[in-house]
Amino acid sequence: MGRWDMLRDLLKNKNTVLGMVIVGCILFLAVFGPVLAPYDPFLPAPLDRLQLPSREHWLGTDSLGRDILTRIIYGSRISVMIGLVAVTISLVPGTVLGLLAGYFGKTLDAVIMRVMDVLLAFPAILMAVFIAAILGPSLVNTMIAVGIVYIPHYARIVRSSVLLLKEQLFVQSVSHMGGSHGRIIFSHILPNALAPIIVYATLGMGTAVLQAAALGFLGLGAQPPQPEWGAMLSEGRQYLQLAPHVAAFPGLAILLLVLGFNVFGDGLRDVLDPTLRT
Amino acid sequence: MKTFVSLLVAVMMFMPSLSMAASDTLIWGRGGDSVVLDLAQATDGESIKAGIQVFENLVKFGDNSMDVEPQLAESWEISPDGLTWTFHLRKGVKFHDGTDFTAQAVYDSFARIIDKDHPFYGYGKWKYLSLSLKYVSNIEIIDDFTVSLTTEMPYAPLINNLALWLCPILSPKAMAEYKDQIGMHPVGTGPFKFVEWVKDDHITMVRNEDYWGGAPKLKKIVLKSIPETATRLMALQSGTIDIADDLDPDAITLVKKQKDLVVKENASVNVGYIAMNTSKPYLADPRIRQAINHAVDKNILIQTLFQGLAIPAKNPFAPSIWSYNDEIEPYAYDPAKAKELLKEAGFDFGREIELWAMPVSRAYMPDPVKTAELIQAYLSAVGVKVKIVRYDWGTYLSKTSNGEHDLCMLGWLGGNADPDNFLYGLLSADTAQTPGASNVAIWKNAEFTDLVKKAQKTFDKAKRTDLYKKAQVIAHDEAPWVPIAHTKVVRCFHNRVQDVPLRPNGLNSFEMVWKK
Repeated sequence: MGRWDMLRDLLKNKNTVLGMVIVGCILFLAVFGPVLAPYDPFLPAPLDRLQLPSREHWLGTDSLGRDILTRIIYGSRISVMIGLVAVTISLVPGTVLGLLAGYFGKTLDAVIMRVMDVLLAFPAILMAVFIAAILGPSLVNTMIAVGIVYIPHYARIVRSSVLLLKEQLFVQSVSHMGGSHGRIIFSHILPNALAPIIVYATLGMGTAVLQAAALGFLGLGAQPPQPEWGAMLSEGRQYLQLAPHVAAFPGLAILLLVLGFNVFGDGLRDVLDPTLRT
Repeated sequence: MKTFVSLLVAVMMFMPSLSMAASDTLIWGRGGDSVVLDLAQATDGESIKAGIQVFENLVKFGDNSMDVEPQLAESWEISPDGLTWTFHLRKGVKFHDGTDFTAQAVYDSFARIIDKDHPFYGYGKWKYLSLSLKYVSNIEIIDDFTVSLTTEMPYAPLINNLALWLCPILSPKAMAEYKDQIGMHPVGTGPFKFVEWVKDDHITMVRNEDYWGGAPKLKKIVLKSIPETATRLMALQSGTIDIADDLDPDAITLVKKQKDLVVKENASVNVGYIAMNTSKPYLADPRIRQAINHAVDKNILIQTLFQGLAIPAKNPFAPSIWSYNDEIEPYAYDPAKAKELLKEAGFDFGREIELWAMPVSRAYMPDPVKTAELIQAYLSAVGVKVKIVRYDWGTYLSKTSNGEHDLCMLGWLGGNADPDNFLYGLLSADTAQTPGASNVAIWKNAEFTDLVKKAQKTFDKAKRTDLYKKAQVIAHDEAPWVPIAHTKVVRCFHNRVQDVPLRPNGLNSFEMVWKK
């Protein structure tokens, strides 16, 4: 299947297009935020606090009088960065571990996968809270925590692909022709195992953003005054009766981004996964 | 609509546990549970709130003031050398377990705290000793209803200490019976008897029919823990609870809008401040600390984040406490002057300093993180880069008492409302020793310390006042703190509740309260 066919398939699916549009818009905001944002995201204007949405402040102001729209725009950079970094942190070691376990099998496989099972035994958010609490509250540590939690997921997916692939004729023949392990793994197995990883990474972006927001909500993530969406949602909780918009808009932003990644990831899977093709 | 939603949520939440309170039962919602109900061991407001319904002291603070009044002691006198205090006790008082209140009970309640050989000594942890009986060297039973305390040096603040929650009189029988579990089974002489404590849920007390001051009007008090402020507010708005404590200023604004709810306010004895760690070389120059004082606009802070429920602070303690030096001119909000002072002192503008934000809100600091963010912005406006740092409360307290911070936020609820408590306790060189410093500015000023120690030994109030006023001038000039605010104490309740008292430290016994 050619690249253009894939793109065409992607664009045929309305949900995928919706996902792409949402993610695209947020990426656009993240990149051009400082140019687009109408105010300074950090400068308090306490006398204008908790204002409802108005012409001056489209999404109102928070408890220190900062423009919520501006903070959400700046927050998109944090969220997108969290998504990318956290997914990279889980993707790279997860893939390597999965390749090693699946390809070499035996004891190595058993050791790696049992360690992964131990990590998987804990609920993801609990594990993330645990790691973030050990490392100390900060944005970087949030990304590390969320990243570590999902390493086993990638390891498992890659391993199962490798187990199938290494029995395939084209791999076997390279092996019999004396191809080195490195060459077999990276030139023949990995490229063919990529599709599920890409799908999972896309879905994982949404999950990572959500987990990071949860940590931010609990005060373990980004520290004030950073406009991290989860932290913004958490501080808005205090004003739910007085000024519901302070919590509602960051919540909506999280919802949109996570929805965008999920819908897009689902679409990607439909296109990339041959078993689902009719 | 809003009210309807609130009502619905509150009703759903409380349906299983309690229906609308009966007219002689008071449901009192608060932010957290008590820790220990033996008040001599208590260090937190939630324990005290419950415990002072059960216990009484030799003396007490007024219902709406911090003036010391008789309670279990009817009168007292001090020997001419200022060392021995003799108390004449009230007769005919009974503990909740039916035993008589006598001098022996006073002896056992106090000796267990200071006498390592007393059989009850090991049954508790006496953490705030310096606020209670630290300087008492001898307790003597003169007769059944007379007891005397001798201090190792003349110590004027003792009478205020005795009125503090830390010096309750417990039933000796109960102390012997419950041993180290006495904190779960409080037995005192107070207006209410302890009935039951379900951890993290509620504490129930019933009225003491034999109370010497006349049986209280309420039949029952239920102290309910409702940690989420928004939930507590809704429960009050819908009437499922009678009193809601520890609401934030914005929630109080909402309470004020509802006709059947009452907000009672009183001037407090607390102080919220930012301590600047003077042991760090870059904060050692008083001009730098003065500059930081000039950089913060307290009026805006109070008008917004405190919703006007506070007065700006310029001294270490509130104007409602005697010897407050009102002649001191506060550091005006003046960013230009702040910059100038920083330059003059050679401040390194490339350095990022840490501001530690309290992770919990307290009466003296209702919205610490937002306050920190605002102060960060004020300091950045004069060129000082600030990073906000947060720890959990326990870690925060231990690290600040080690002097690990640059700037930290803290406060004091008022203790015994004696100036000594603030000046000696929070700013003297004696209390600046790490680890375990309560002077978290780690400020060691010999002249200041001499003044406040001399005042401890002075019984003449005019002379003490003079000493404290001088000390406040030094504290102002040397500026170890940015004193932020003295918040008002506030109690929010339903208007069916009557005669609700409100002491400046917010801690009252409720024997006079009744419900319509």
